[in-house]
Amino acid sequence: MSRFTKLLLLVTVFLLPFSIATAQDDELIDQTFLLTFIPNIQFSPTYAAIANGHFAEAGFNVTIEHLDEPVVVDLIASNQRQFGIVSGEQVIMARFGGRPIVYLYEWFQQYPVGVVVPENSDIETVTDLAGRNIGIPGRFGASYSGLTALLAANGLTEQDIDLEEIGFFAPDVVCVGGVEASVVYLNNEPLQIAQRAEQGECGDVTGVRVLPVAAEVDLVSNGLVTNEETIANQPEMVAAFVSAYHQGLQDVINNPAAAYLLSLDYVDNLPISDDLQAALEAEAAAQEEFLATNPDREAIAESRQTMYDRLHEQFSSEELIQLQVLLKSIELWDAEQLGVTDLASWEAAQNVLLEMGFLNEPLDLEAAFTNEFVPGFEE
Amino acid sequence: MRVSVRDLQVTYRAPGGLALPALGPISFEVEPEQFVAIVGPSGCGKSSLIRVLAGLQKPSSGSAYLNHQPIQEPSSAVGLMFQDSNLMPWRTVIDNIALPLELAGVSKMERRAQAADLIPQLGLEGFEEAYPGELSGGMAQRVALGRVLIQRPEVLLLDEPFGALDALTREQISLDLLQLWQQSGATAIMVTHDIREAVLLADRVFVFSQRPGKLIADVHITLPRPRHSDDMFNEAFGDFVRQVRAAIDRA
Amino acid sequence: MLANVLSYTLNKFISNEKYVLKPRRSVVRRYALIATPLTVLAVWHFITLLELFPVFIIPSPQAVGIKLIAVIQDGRLWLHMGVTLQEVLGGLFLGVSVGMILGYLIAHIPVLEDLLSPIIVAFQATPILAYAPLLVIWFGTGITGKMITGALVVFFPMLMNTIVGIRSVPENLRDLMRVSRASRWQLFAKLELPAAMPVLLTGLKTSATLAVIGAVVGEFVTANAGLGYWVKVARDSYDTPLVFVAVISLTVIALSLYGAVSLLERRLLAWQRRHRLVD
Repeated sequence: MSRFTKLLLLVTVFLLPFSIATAQDDELIDQTFLLTFIPNIQFSPTYAAIANGHFAEAGFNVTIEHLDEPVVVDLIASNQRQFGIVSGEQVIMARFGGRPIVYLYEWFQQYPVGVVVPENSDIETVTDLAGRNIGIPGRFGASYSGLTALLAANGLTEQDIDLEEIGFFAPDVVCVGGVEASVVYLNNEPLQIAQRAEQGECGDVTGVRVLPVAAEVDLVSNGLVTNEETIANQPEMVAAFVSAYHQGLQDVINNPAAAYLLSLDYVDNLPISDDLQAALEAEAAAQEEFLATNPDREAIAESRQTMYDRLHEQFSSEELIQLQVLLKSIELWDAEQLGVTDLASWEAAQNVLLEMGFLNEPLDLEAAFTNEFVPGFEE
Repeated sequence: MRVSVRDLQVTYRAPGGLALPALGPISFEVEPEQFVAIVGPSGCGKSSLIRVLAGLQKPSSGSAYLNHQPIQEPSSAVGLMFQDSNLMPWRTVIDNIALPLELAGVSKMERRAQAADLIPQLGLEGFEEAYPGELSGGMAQRVALGRVLIQRPEVLLLDEPFGALDALTREQISLDLLQLWQQSGATAIMVTHDIREAVLLADRVFVFSQRPGKLIADVHITLPRPRHSDDMFNEAFGDFVRQVRAAIDRA
Repeated sequence: MLANVLSYTLNKFISNEKYVLKPRRSVVRRYALIATPLTVLAVWHFITLLELFPVFIIPSPQAVGIKLIAVIQDGRLWLHMGVTLQEVLGGLFLGVSVGMILGYLIAHIPVLEDLLSPIIVAFQATPILAYAPLLVIWFGTGITGKMITGALVVFFPMLMNTIVGIRSVPENLRDLMRVSRASRWQLFAKLELPAAMPVLLTGLKTSATLAVIGAVVGEFVTANAGLGYWVKVARDSYDTPLVFVAVISLTVIALSLYGAVSLLERRLLAWQRRHRLVD
């Protein structure tokens, strides 16, 4: 046997398993799912939909790609990709800019932005913010839109407050008293500040209170998008994809311990130790048994809190911070009917954009979203 | 100006730390307004001698003197002409010639006037504003010669100045040099490979030995001055050439 | 480019036999000046006609032209161009001066090279994009931060070209300066600077375009004005024609700077184009 033949044989032997594997995967449609930001525990519904096989059952082989929001929008608008997650405002602005993007399924039922104040502050309501020194990452994105909506709902504008751009350093600035209040993401900075306060590392601040935007006005938030072409040509595929994502989201809401564990494969630097892993595995298993008894939504919400309390007896809040982020996020995701948006929340978002001057005329919002593919939705 | 050299030695340090003697010990004396030509095998330290006299290089031992003053650094009384023309390509002919005056702080009008005066004697009429890149090798050397002469040196050091030129150009420029030197009243020391050139120009021809170069012959050329190209066909001229060649053959 | 047109026309009028550009090349150049941009426009127009890409990916030249006129009229173009130009020129000046001074010192003091080269090479090997956010924290979100970013990008080619330029000054010419008893300053001004000028100008040419990149990188990190910021804002508000206007404006700045340095080169290095007349 010549050397060449040997080599050929060797290569064939090595490649054989791969070709079998590919043959199996051929039945699945490759889909790149576009997300913003970086891998994070907040994306656990997507991880769950992959890891728990919901995408595969729906016929998809999904890979995740993280990009800037405008890039996500343009790739989907030009039908180079079919699915992604962006904010509702981006959908409005993109459609204003001629992109045929359609919003399919609301992920965050509550707008995730709010104003955080130290618990001993005399700022009790939104109207108390008038004349106060308030921090914000910058005059862009969801925090700026959220603040504008919050103020507008209470008859205020940016001119009534002293707004200061502080970047993403709200915990530091609030702890040193650099601002009296700060616009934050509810599932992130308030938890960090509270944790520092608990450890006595936050100056005079002993704890925090939040004024959520969602308490005042229902703004459409982050959700699943596709383009008009895909809806027109492959509605079944869209329905299957949305349904798979819906199941992933439901899994996370029902069993956050299991979601945390499966997210370890996707997110770097997620706090974990052998003890925490063992404890979470026990909690996840116990939750499965509990879910088998068909508990209602409130009972499940309660089970999440009691699970956290049990873990907190054993682990520091520092070690549990990302689990806390997840639980707080679930509060923003959970609803009686997941995924649905109504025209009013779109109009509220559009009004904010008009107020901020990002839009100069209203557009046909009915075309911007559809609830048609939301599982369990009835008119 | 009198140039004297006493027990001069130049030694280079090889990379391994080995001492490489290049020149000397050597002693000689050149009278004011005398023209000395130095001939010898290549690598005999002629260029080292010129560099020491120009104040560009310190001797390893011994000393060189100008009018009995030891040479420590370059002197304004000394002009040096290099093997190649060594012109600045971004300067015009006239500005290249005027460079030494410019460095000495002479006003622009004055130095350009002085340079312009030299132009006809150098045979560079019409090329005042040309750049070196536009000149032939012989013309470039004429510019270099002008640059040395403009500072009215009392000692003229010439390190194989015409080595790279073809024979015809070389002879012409040698004769021009002879002319200009006679007017200048400078002491001249010229390194050359051309024995005929040496005999034509010099009052004395020094013959150097192989490295380390030592003075092995000092041939006095007693041909009358002023000299002309015709002199090269004299019997006396031929005798001197033979004499020098014989000395070199012994080197 | 404009410089070429000007010099061509000038040459036609003042040409003497000592100093003429080869006409063939100039003719090609003159047509290229008009033909190249026209071809680009035509291809662009054709692509949008064919609707190969949605208009929000490649808008039509007309749409971009209308946007351009609009932003010229409302003054925004001059505002953003002015800010970026300030940053670019500031960065260029800073980077070129520091690069040249340090390059000059290194060329003369070899031990400096041994001491500094690890830092310099490390800075150069690290993409500016990676540490630009740090520069913003250190030097602020204003114009200074972008000038520093630009200066850092510009610095290295200028430094290297200065070192090469100064070290390539012929030793013979240094000897000439010494025997002519030139002062340290004269050595620099009359020999080293003009001798290194061709290499320095090549460095300056590279630097001029790099300074634009530096400023834009800085603006992308954080800014309130400038063409890079404008590209970002336009993209974030899905205004593709405006993205095109901003990008084209950046091209215009970069090309103008390149042209200015080329013009400077033609003036300062006129001697290089003189050819031998006599054998």
